[in-house]
Amino acid sequence: MKIEERPKVEKLLTNPVKRNHQFDTVEVKVSPPWKDAVKQLRKNRFAVAGFIIIVFFVFLGLLAPLLTPYSYEEQNLANRLLAPSADHWFGTDDLGRDIFTRIAYGARISLQVGLFAVSGALVFGTILGIVAGYFGRWIDTIISRTFDMLLAFPSILLAIAVVAILGASLENALIAIAIINIPVFGRLVRSRVISLREEEYIMAAKAQGMKNGRILLHHILPNSMAPIIVQSTLGFGTAILDAAALGFLGLGAQPPMPEWGKMLADSRNFIQLAPWTLIAPGISIMLVVLGFNLIGDGLRDAIDPKMKS
Amino acid sequence: MKFKTAFVRVFILALVLVLAACGGGGEEGSSKEGSKSESKGDQVLVFARGGDSSSLDFASTSDGESSRVTKQIFESLLDFDKDSFNVVPGLAHDWDVSEDGLSYKFYLEEGVTFHDGTDFNAEAVKVNFERWSDPDHQYAFKEDGYAYPLYGTMFGGYKGDEDHVIKEINVVGDHEIEFVLTQPLGSFLQNMGMHYFAITSPKALEDFGAKINENPVGTGPFKFVSWSKDDSIVLEKNENYRKEGLPKLDKVVYKVVPDNAARLIALRSGEIDIMDDVNPDDAAGVEADNALNLYTRGENNVGFLGFNTAKEPLNNKLVRQAINHSIEREKIADALYAGYATPAVNPLPPGYMGYNDEVEGYKFDADKAKELLAEAGYPDGFEIDLWVMPVSRPYMPDPEKAAEIIQDNLSKIGVKVKIVREEWAPYLEKTSKGDQELYLLGWSGSNGDPDYFLSSLTHGESVGGENRTFYDNAELNELLDAAKLSVDQEERARLYKEAQEIISEDSPMVTLVHSKPLVATRSAVKNYQPHPSTSDSLVEVELE
Repeated sequence: MKIEERPKVEKLLTNPVKRNHQFDTVEVKVSPPWKDAVKQLRKNRFAVAGFIIIVFFVFLGLLAPLLTPYSYEEQNLANRLLAPSADHWFGTDDLGRDIFTRIAYGARISLQVGLFAVSGALVFGTILGIVAGYFGRWIDTIISRTFDMLLAFPSILLAIAVVAILGASLENALIAIAIINIPVFGRLVRSRVISLREEEYIMAAKAQGMKNGRILLHHILPNSMAPIIVQSTLGFGTAILDAAALGFLGLGAQPPMPEWGKMLADSRNFIQLAPWTLIAPGISIMLVVLGFNLIGDGLRDAIDPKMKS
Repeated sequence: MKFKTAFVRVFILALVLVLAACGGGGEEGSSKEGSKSESKGDQVLVFARGGDSSSLDFASTSDGESSRVTKQIFESLLDFDKDSFNVVPGLAHDWDVSEDGLSYKFYLEEGVTFHDGTDFNAEAVKVNFERWSDPDHQYAFKEDGYAYPLYGTMFGGYKGDEDHVIKEINVVGDHEIEFVLTQPLGSFLQNMGMHYFAITSPKALEDFGAKINENPVGTGPFKFVSWSKDDSIVLEKNENYRKEGLPKLDKVVYKVVPDNAARLIALRSGEIDIMDDVNPDDAAGVEADNALNLYTRGENNVGFLGFNTAKEPLNNKLVRQAINHSIEREKIADALYAGYATPAVNPLPPGYMGYNDEVEGYKFDADKAKELLAEAGYPDGFEIDLWVMPVSRPYMPDPEKAAEIIQDNLSKIGVKVKIVREEWAPYLEKTSKGDQELYLLGWSGSNGDPDYFLSSLTHGESVGGENRTFYDNAELNELLDAAKLSVDQEERARLYKEAQEIISEDSPMVTLVHSKPLVATRSAVKNYQPHPSTSDSLVEVELE
């Protein structure tokens, strides 16, 4: 885009008209990179499958009240542990609640957790990563060593520690998952920024006297987007898995919220008697995580220039 | 890479689910031969339970998982029948009680030796009782954190305390011992049958000191071999056991399998022989299985929803009564206990002396509950914390689910419940300090005496200990004291009945159910009889 400034310079040259003409023909051939990526993505069958899975769960969550006549929290102890049937597609759990209803409402929770945890980690991780990578020196040392410290713990253990400090609730689980993902984004962005910092166009911008803030916002950040987008998509999956793990341990969503990991934990005593109480939430977790991973992997192929053949 | 690991994780999760779901049938008997072939002919019994023992010094803990094991290693002066709290001879074959109820003489078995070869005699009995009653005794190990709370509860305190009932212990002969009391104690003989007052070898106390909790030496049918924490405790046959031909088993292994469902799978595969705490929902399946036997323990407990009566708004009796009216006990008994429980009206289980069947209790009535709440000044309800214990107990196999049902019940009268979890040890500690508002807990009997239930749970003096409701009613305290000190059992029964009326009216807790805990064994296990105290004697058990 900065190329537009070039004609000004060109005007000083002897044959500006001819040069301009040449330049225009070049521009026609270049399609915007995102269009290219979408094209690539659509060719990737796995990515499309992942996309369909996610869209399915998004609609399942959004339309939950229309899809089912039951409430996710109303107990009906007379109808406990019913096998799947026309009335209860996925059966009922041990408190007589319709499992399909709980899966549908649970989709809202899981997708929200993914969204907010990833957004949080992305915002803070990117800011810290850019600052560390661009300014270097002691700021880099402080931020990078903090990341190293956080990454030294197994992530789920760190999440458990954070929840233990804050208290068990879905919000705190979300915060914990965001925190454990900050260094993941941070390191990614930092390494990208360090390599960008040495690029000629950044040098040029600096030489022109552009302020650091403007360079970061207009040059560094846009050029770091590709790995961030890929990592966000993959991070969605792991965030949902982490939330389910915390829920399973009783550290995430609290009853009567229909969080999938919690549903698994609540039903594990019925693995022999009523396996459907475990299969539905288990498969749901699997599908959503799989969906995000497939998309993320496809995106990486599509966006990352190094992967292009 | 990222994609790969996450995918593998998800795949494994799915695989585990599918495998676990299919694991139900088809495996019986296959692994049994393999696991035990090396010890063919040996009678090795594996008893699986949910948690490990906290200590093998029975007197310094009130942990049922501890006395379940030490019951095989130690004996007390008196014992209980196999399936009830009827007192029968133990290490004392006979006893006399004086007219005034102030002197008890026990005649001890002769020729009995401890597992370390030393003689069992009256002196050994005296050393043990002095160890519990005198905090400064050389074997009390006070500096090492030992305390004997059950001794204090059952005998009115410790040496030097005003209410301590055991004045002196006289060694009359080598095998004759006399207990002199300061005042009559209605439950004295029942107490002597409690396993918490079994006799340890004085030499072992001398040799092991404060390590006695890992080196139990008694006179019982089995000797201690090894203990690997949170996994298993191994006992072997005491060849010199005082009863001819017993025990029948060569080896007993107490194994920890925390998850109820996993334990049942292990039982089906023959990996274990007896499992404690069957999920009530699995009972029907166990009963239908020819390779397994299902047993129920006697109703000897109460599971309840306690109120911290020291905190607003639970200090208001009307609020407590309103909550009491809003809980659907019958549904809880059906849903969480599969019917192996009776909705509870009194804290005392039916069948106990002095059980008051005229107390009406609180029938489920949401309208009445709302009226009472409005009368108490909370027409729109309030928000409140409900503490839930993290472990399955005999009186409450699934506390988390009980909490969810209660949460649902209370939401209908406008009370919004937040569920609070805490680890088991801090749970007990913090609730006795009064950090909680509503809380779930229960109580299991261990001597068959009503005092053990009513005084522990509701007497003002138990506040700070087992009375976690902070309920303290002077009139009730007096009744319970009088009943404790009387030796006239009819009089005691009358006083306890009156006490239950007061408790019901004041409503310091919602008594939920008396459960019949379930035990399952392989059908090869013979002569097994679960005891209502949960400490089953394995002395006569054999494997076919």
